[in-house]
Amino acid sequence: MNKLEDFTDVWVFAEIKDHEKVHDCVLEILGKAREIADKLGHKLIVVLLSLDAENYIPTLKEYGADKIIYISDPNLKHYHEVIFPQLVFNLIQKHKPCIFLFPSTEVGNALAARLAYRCHTGLVSNVLNLELDCQDEKNLLISDKPAYLGNIIVKITCPKTRPQMCTISSGTFHKKKLRKSNIEIEEVEYKFDLNKIKIKIKGSPIRKDKPSATLSNAKFVIGGGHGLTSKENFDQVFQLAKYTSGQVGGTRRPIMEGWMPEHLQIGISGETIFPELYLSFGISGAIQHVVGVSKSKTIVAINKDPNAPIFKVADYCIVDDAPKILNALVKYFNV
Amino acid sequence: MPLNIFVLIKQVPSCHSIEIDKSTGTIIREGVNNIINPDDLFAIELGLNLKERYNGVVTVMTMGPPQAEFALRESLAMGADNAILISDHRFAYSDTLQTTLILKEAFNFIKEYDIIICGCQTSDSSTGQVPFQLSEALEIPLITDFFTLEIENQILKCDRNFGHESQNIEVKLPVLLRTISHFNSPRFISLPRIKTAFDKEIKSFDFKTFNCPEYLDGKNKSPTLVVGIEKVNLKRKNKIIDGSINEKIQSLILLMREHGINGVNHKLIK
Repeated sequence: MNKLEDFTDVWVFAEIKDHEKVHDCVLEILGKAREIADKLGHKLIVVLLSLDAENYIPTLKEYGADKIIYISDPNLKHYHEVIFPQLVFNLIQKHKPCIFLFPSTEVGNALAARLAYRCHTGLVSNVLNLELDCQDEKNLLISDKPAYLGNIIVKITCPKTRPQMCTISSGTFHKKKLRKSNIEIEEVEYKFDLNKIKIKIKGSPIRKDKPSATLSNAKFVIGGGHGLTSKENFDQVFQLAKYTSGQVGGTRRPIMEGWMPEHLQIGISGETIFPELYLSFGISGAIQHVVGVSKSKTIVAINKDPNAPIFKVADYCIVDDAPKILNALVKYFNV
Repeated sequence: MPLNIFVLIKQVPSCHSIEIDKSTGTIIREGVNNIINPDDLFAIELGLNLKERYNGVVTVMTMGPPQAEFALRESLAMGADNAILISDHRFAYSDTLQTTLILKEAFNFIKEYDIIICGCQTSDSSTGQVPFQLSEALEIPLITDFFTLEIENQILKCDRNFGHESQNIEVKLPVLLRTISHFNSPRFISLPRIKTAFDKEIKSFDFKTFNCPEYLDGKNKSPTLVVGIEKVNLKRKNKIIDGSINEKIQSLILLMREHGINGVNHKLIK
């Protein structure tokens, strides 16, 4: 049985997005992980598995890592549900990290959940804040995670097992450039028995790029909801976005109505936005949507129902017909 | 041989009116409706659909307090054939890892299963971890984000989105399927079935069913510990912009300018 003190160092999993670049969320996490590692007197170690992994090392070196452990192989071009957990688990067993942080993405959440099972340790998903509880030298990580559709924040620790694991939502922390001297680089040999894979891929897969998420970086977002009542009205949201260099987003309903593509959904099952200004047209303000916009600097809501819950979470409220206001705005900017 | 289809569901409090008891720091449960976790309805629907297409038996299974039985009755009224309630005071306070270990015991006890279906995540704890962890525990593949599904001679064939690829895959049963929300339209409860749903026997699994393994202990063996809970306060200044339509538009334009947003064409004019 391992003792808790045997586990040391803070690890971050470097997800590579679309085999092109290090995921932004990883760079954001590194800033916070550096801070935690300094408080604990631990090293900050980045774990990287990829095709041509060497290509990403220069970027990772700029964000505070003490050490980069990497495995490079053509079989690691994409995340693989059997290969990645096995290889990363081997590294955990060998080095025994104290803390292991992942981006809260499709890949990060899947990999972390599998690893937590293998390590029989705790995992906190979609973390919105991290703190270190240094009382009584416990050095426990306290993770804040949303629950009950974002109505509640729960603080969670993992006192008895290691590593302490979290997946962290995009936009939670900010990127901080910092270059340590003498960064250690360790290459680990790729070894995996492909016969262990039960899922057989037939034919060649079709590359199906998901539209890149521009919403999370947008400075100005215009959201539309059910209250816009028709596709013609919703098209005006796109017009306004065009005239003002804004980004379009919306609730679930316009997607189901076919007014807007799926990747523009804002909220708990879509994107979280961080704009300077969010204009919402005809959105009632169900909590599933509201949690995705609550990090906007200013929120303006336009809805004809004075009791719409969106008004409670808005800075400015206009009780009026959303299509009418939207049309007038489009006319003003269309010159 | 009919397909043995299991659907995992959870009873959750309706999340729209959640309040915290400030004196105890816990969620107030009184007066809050319990519902089937919304994501799980899509899982039940998929189970029933597969049963109709391939001759199967659908068993819904849940873990929770005794009143979770009601969620099972509802699923029976939707058309499920059997129901299992995993309930024991020793399983209370289980986190995802403990839940997975208990489900593993349940499936080891059941022995014969071809397809296990679950939803994406629960609306109460929203971790989304159990499907992946159960895949590890039972050592069976987990298929997520699929958009076609066929079964032939114990082989499941499907198209799925995986990373930025669309793949056509084949895998031998048993498998674990995770549905996505709005993947299908869950059927309504049928009135004639409500009565039979209440007449059906619900199977119970408890600590003794699994021969009392020491490591199953929600309260003491869950690795995660909740140390605090707070209600999110999203309230803002709620300033009302009033006046004629023109005044409202002018205020909006001013607000946009204050946030650095100008018309693309307007800049050219200036």
